Amino acid sequence: MLRAVVTNGPNGLEVFLAADSESSSESEYTPEDCEFAPDNPEAFTGLGDCGAGPSPILPEAKELAWGAGTFIVFALLMRFFLYPRLRRSMDARYEAIRAGHTEADAMRQAARSEVATYESALAEVKAEASARVDAARAQLEQERGAQLAEANERISARRDAAAAEAAAAHEAARAEIGSAVAAVASRTVELATGKAPDAATMSRVVDEAMSAGVSR
Amino acid sequence: MFALEFPPINEILRWTDVVPSVNKIALIAIAAVVVASVIFLIAGNADGSTAPRGVRNLAESIVEFIEGQIIMPTMGRDGLGWTPFLLSLFSFIYLCNVPGVIPIIQMPATARMAIPLFLSLLVWVIFIGVGFKHQGIGYLKNSLFPPGVPAALYLLVTPIEFISTFLVRPFSLTVRLFANMLAGHILLVTFALLTEELVQGGSIVLKPVGILPFFMLVFLTAFEVLVAFLQAYIFTILAAVYIGGAAHPEH
Amino acid sequence: MEAFSILAQLTDEGAKAAEAAGSAGFAYGLAAIGPGIGIGYLVGKSVEAMARQPEAAGMVRTTMFLGIAFTEALALIGFVVFILIGL
Repeated sequence: MLRAVVTNGPNGLEVFLAADSESSSESEYTPEDCEFAPDNPEAFTGLGDCGAGPSPILPEAKELAWGAGTFIVFALLMRFFLYPRLRRSMDARYEAIRAGHTEADAMRQAARSEVATYESALAEVKAEASARVDAARAQLEQERGAQLAEANERISARRDAAAAEAAAAHEAARAEIGSAVAAVASRTVELATGKAPDAATMSRVVDEAMSAGVSR
Repeated sequence: MFALEFPPINEILRWTDVVPSVNKIALIAIAAVVVASVIFLIAGNADGSTAPRGVRNLAESIVEFIEGQIIMPTMGRDGLGWTPFLLSLFSFIYLCNVPGVIPIIQMPATARMAIPLFLSLLVWVIFIGVGFKHQGIGYLKNSLFPPGVPAALYLLVTPIEFISTFLVRPFSLTVRLFANMLAGHILLVTFALLTEELVQGGSIVLKPVGILPFFMLVFLTAFEVLVAFLQAYIFTILAAVYIGGAAHPEH
Repeated sequence: MEAFSILAQLTDEGAKAAEAAGSAGFAYGLAAIGPGIGIGYLVGKSVEAMARQPEAAGMVRTTMFLGIAFTEALALIGFVVFILIGL
């Protein structure tokens, strides 16, 4: 049987006919190099003539076996060895964290109650202190009032005495002025009329005139 | 002239065996298990009594993510016993997805059918088992003959319920994970090839244009990181929904 | 003459492959319409719900992802069909 060999030579496409035996012996590949046996081993010229192989979507037995074996080993390893170890330590850590949280909660609770005790004690002390301060203030107020009253009393007594003294001095001065005025007036009248006026009348008139002048 | 030659799909997905019967997918699955085990081992050894740091913080975040975001909204407190299973499901799927964006590896193990198929069959077996364990034979009755439906409608409802519960669930679970990761992988391959073709081959005019698919490639890589997480999350939360639904019949 | 028949056969296969690729693209395009609309509507409504009640955002987000997962499955099945036909 002859084969048509088409090559892309320098003069364009060249077609020549060749016998099978010649071409297959020229090729550097043999059908053994193919992964799949060529459909027609007699007509083998190169790797392009290798068989197409099975359909690409068919599972291959060796891949199936390897995939299944490795996965089953892995799943068992995970189920009985790898995962439980990881899970245990994860659980231990979560448990520790949760314990820490509860402990912190308890501590916070304790601290809160301590704060409450402190606050109540503080309030008590404050109340006592304010009561004492109030008492002291009241006492102070009272003492101050008493002292104030005493001082006022003293001041008013002195003022009364001073006023009485002033009034007496005033009266004395007035009497002195009156007698002087009466003496002057009676002397004036005596010089004018040649006769001494009645001293009692004179002092009454002077008194009237002075009080009228003072009151005016 | 420039021509984009997309490689055959098997070439971007299949790898020759490293040693007989161990190919790249198997290596990624093994690496995922080893990495996840080491992370949880280190986390378990770390001092757990103080605030978690580093690897332990990562592991505890994953555990709390599984418990808070996946189990509590779907199964409630009763489902907390499923944490190890869902945790290993999530870690395994994520670590199988994420090599799709790790340079040099660049292949999500879940873009092959085998791992998603096995995982969803496992979930399927588990949720049916949980249903029979918690409700006995009444599980079939509750799921096939939902209460509150007129008797005449059972003719219609029962086949639908059977198909959607027992056939479509594992199928959609498989296809969702597989197709999402495969689509992402093909997108990355496409833009990487486009960048390479534009920069290396073709005329000098086209070389600067190669920056555009390159930016798209970077953006899609970032997007794939998100998809890897999201698909692991969705697979796990759907597993939780199915198991939780089987444990407690709908009222 | 034999060579020409082989060439004709080759082009025939090429045409078939092109046809398959075209129909695969068409199938995926059709399969993407519904889920696209559905996911857009779903996410829009979820954002609305989260904006109205920010305190329920966590629950809404979980439910949104579940809904997206179910809706998206249709598009992904289309993608698988695309691979089956086209590649």
